[in-house]
Amino acid sequence: MRDIAAEHDSDVGAEHDDGDNAAPERDDSAAPEREVRAPAQALDEYRARARAWIEANLERGQASGLRRGDTDPAAIAAGRALQRRLYEAGYTGITWPREYGGQGLGPEYERAFQQEARGYRLPDLGIAGGTTFGVCAMTMLAHASADFLRRHIPRILAGEELFVQFFSEPEAGSDLAGVRTRAVRSGDGWVLNGSKIWSSGAYYADWGMCLARTDWDVPKHRGLTWFAVPVTAPGVTVERIRQITGDAEFCQEFFDDVVLGDGDVIGQVNDGWTVAQTMLMFERGGGLSHGTRTTGASTGVAPDLVELARATGRLADPLTRDLIVRAHVDDVARRALLARLGERMRTDPAQALHLASYAKLVSGVHDPIRADIAMRIGGADAVNWETVGADGACADGAHGDAVSGDAVNRDERPGDSPGPKVAVGFLNSRFMSIAGGTNEMQRNSIGERVLGLPREPSFDRGKPFREVLRDARGWSSARE
Amino acid sequence: MSVGLLASATPEQELLLDSSSRFIERTMPLPSVRELAAGSGGVDARYHEAAGSLGWFGMLVGEEHGGGTVSGNGLLDAAAVAAERGGVLQPGSFATANVVAHLLAAEGSRHGEVLARLVAGRARATWAVGDVAGLTPGAGEIVAGEDGGGGFRLDGDVRHVPDAADCDLLVVTAHGPRGLTQFLVAADTPGVQARRMASLDITRRPGAVRFHDVRVGADAVLGAPGDATAARFEWQVGIAAVLTAAESVGAMHRDLEAAVEHAGTRIAFGRPIGSFQAVKHLLADLSLSLEMAKAVVSAAAESLGSEPPGSEPPGFGARDGVDLAHAAKAFVAEHGVELAHGCFQVFGGVGYTWEHDHHLFMRRLAADAVAFGSAQWHRDRLGERIGVG
Ligand SMILES: Cc1cc2nc3c(=O)[nH]c(=O)nc-3n(C[C@H](O)[C@H](O)[C@H](O)COP(=O)(O)OP(=O)(O)OC[C@H]3O[C@@H](n4cnc5c(N)ncnc54)[C@H](O)[C@@H]3O)c2cc1C
Repeated sequence: MRDIAAEHDSDVGAEHDDGDNAAPERDDSAAPEREVRAPAQALDEYRARARAWIEANLERGQASGLRRGDTDPAAIAAGRALQRRLYEAGYTGITWPREYGGQGLGPEYERAFQQEARGYRLPDLGIAGGTTFGVCAMTMLAHASADFLRRHIPRILAGEELFVQFFSEPEAGSDLAGVRTRAVRSGDGWVLNGSKIWSSGAYYADWGMCLARTDWDVPKHRGLTWFAVPVTAPGVTVERIRQITGDAEFCQEFFDDVVLGDGDVIGQVNDGWTVAQTMLMFERGGGLSHGTRTTGASTGVAPDLVELARATGRLADPLTRDLIVRAHVDDVARRALLARLGERMRTDPAQALHLASYAKLVSGVHDPIRADIAMRIGGADAVNWETVGADGACADGAHGDAVSGDAVNRDERPGDSPGPKVAVGFLNSRFMSIAGGTNEMQRNSIGERVLGLPREPSFDRGKPFREVLRDARGWSSARE
Repeated sequence: MSVGLLASATPEQELLLDSSSRFIERTMPLPSVRELAAGSGGVDARYHEAAGSLGWFGMLVGEEHGGGTVSGNGLLDAAAVAAERGGVLQPGSFATANVVAHLLAAEGSRHGEVLARLVAGRARATWAVGDVAGLTPGAGEIVAGEDGGGGFRLDGDVRHVPDAADCDLLVVTAHGPRGLTQFLVAADTPGVQARRMASLDITRRPGAVRFHDVRVGADAVLGAPGDATAARFEWQVGIAAVLTAAESVGAMHRDLEAAVEHAGTRIAFGRPIGSFQAVKHLLADLSLSLEMAKAVVSAAAESLGSEPPGSEPPGFGARDGVDLAHAAKAFVAEHGVELAHGCFQVFGGVGYTWEHDHHLFMRRLAADAVAFGSAQWHRDRLGERIGVG
């Protein structure tokens, strides 16, 4: 269909969406395409070296089993230590530039390493590891100064610096360009005031990648600047927020006169929206592995749901089986979609940001459906379950634990019941439909930027942000 | 513009798709499809021969029989062509023609002459499969008995046979004395009687075939009866399902494209209706389904059409391919109809008119949804892979 991205002017309405026009310039190291093929022999040698190192240095087993939410400091410390060993051996940042501590190799080397490391325990840095490597560092590589990258990227690769996302605010989520945290010029530095919220993993991270307003007298997209903010800097307060699962993974931060330097700026001052677009692409899954056509159905038919149906004695029920296969069909189509998107983004990099919205929306739409299927198969067993005390005897299941899933880590363990897992899956199933840009933002992006549908009227376009806030207070109810 | 089943096409594939689309645009654009629908006849012989010369019926057939693929994966090429066909609701059964060609090619040179005509578009073939394996409940079945002289006699009545009354050749899947048995039968064999059926999908010409004491020789048998045929049947259904789903994907693409276009130009309340989120978001969701449909259909075609070395029988793809074909058909059958509903809503009143093309797409998508296995049937096949206990 039409590509009308270029027709859009530069300060579009709706948000945690693309807002702006042209795809930002990116360093190739962060770009999806890279076609340089390694000579087979060099790759084979690399693979053999990697295998030897892995066998000598890594333990067998899956990821450390860190649970989302209640990250144990010792487990994180172990993750960091392991990350450092990989860094020292040259097995982190395999495709990242050499001058910033990476290896500067092609994606086939990364793939080779991942293949060899299958079945071994790799560093698990929890959700902050995901934001550091999946979004923040990728965005920095595309936009930060060489000086900034020389300071931070090697430390990131070595597990010393975990970056979390200071994007959302109490008053700005979907409308990311509407953030109100302010950075004010002071001497040769900046002073930061305001608050960020829903920052996953901030309580154990080292830095936040923070979007702040640096000019209030221009339209909202034009007065933004990104900063790297040390989580432990004077004036930063971090509070954990208890989530519906009972976990306390995300946080709120308060900034009171936090002093930052020019060296902490990521990208150009007041050009934060350009950086934000790259960030959003990674957030939506734009960094997904490219051109890997692993769409085979050989993993079996929704093994997790089959196991659940078996555990609850419903496997022979034809309706249950149909639900399982429905989930499987969607799983297959989702995997195929990601492979297709990788290929489309490779051949059409200018559209990558908007195409990435499909990767995000597919999870936002289908995760809840799949969780609902699990709840239906689980039936009452997914709602109530018996718990077993530390001594193995039956315990009274307290309500708090029954809905928190934390029972898994606490004194009381669920018996053999599949209930807690399904229930937590249900509670978590809207994660992707909200976090990192809601379904509605992805639909706007697809509707306007991929399908070329007309924009909706906007009440903030072209207006200085100061006036936008003032005018918004004047909205009235339709009944008045 | 291509409907873009493939995320990226090779230059050779692009050439094939381009020549196919130009041929369609020249000889059978939507107004001609409507004309054909208004009459009672089938598509004319020239259309068919020209399609043959473009390679439409030879993609699952080796070069020794006049076929060939441009990418090395004939089913993937064929699916991409099918999608272009579906986008303009082309008549004739592309899926069955290719299933039959593929089947005959597996016979080596035995049916070389017939196959050559089929590939060239000078003969038309369809597949009378009926309700074998519960594929199409109510479609009937054919029973083959030995005639005592080394040959067989076929009896029965099967419905829902694509282009039954417009074909020269039939492949019949029958219940025989040694299990499932397939025959190649000329449509003018005594005792074979084809008739048209009325259809919701006015762009196609489905029919029914009655076999009354039809005598065929042993040389009409394709492959080995029994287990081997039952196994082959799975691949055939897979191919038919993938090609049908690919045609559906083309229809989905064009219906959605028209709805998007409409949403961009129709004005209400002082703005294009596509600027209302209720409309925009609906279209975005439909476009997600379409992307998923394209992805799963091309993945299925790629897998089913790839030929691992030593595959048995030759020309039949990986086991994974059959599973992916089931998944693709199950997905497209449901999401195709859903997409048609969504587009209908966006069109508003004009979508209710005979004159607007939307209903042609909606009819086609509903018909394709049950052709070569409903979503439920395909899910049931996948469900059989789940162990019980
Ligand atoms: C589990 C979790 C983890 C998170 N982690 C992080 C993190 O690490 N760092 C971070 O910065 N943020 C994080 N977030 C925040 C997340 O990005 C925001 O919640 C999200 O962008 C939505 O913003 P909001 O919550 O302010 O909702 P709002 O923007 O207030 O939206 C509320 C509803 O209004 C709809 N809406 C808003 N604007 C429009 C519009 N223009 N058109 C149509 N509908 C609209 C939304 O789609 C939504 O349905 C996290 C959120 C969750 C749930």
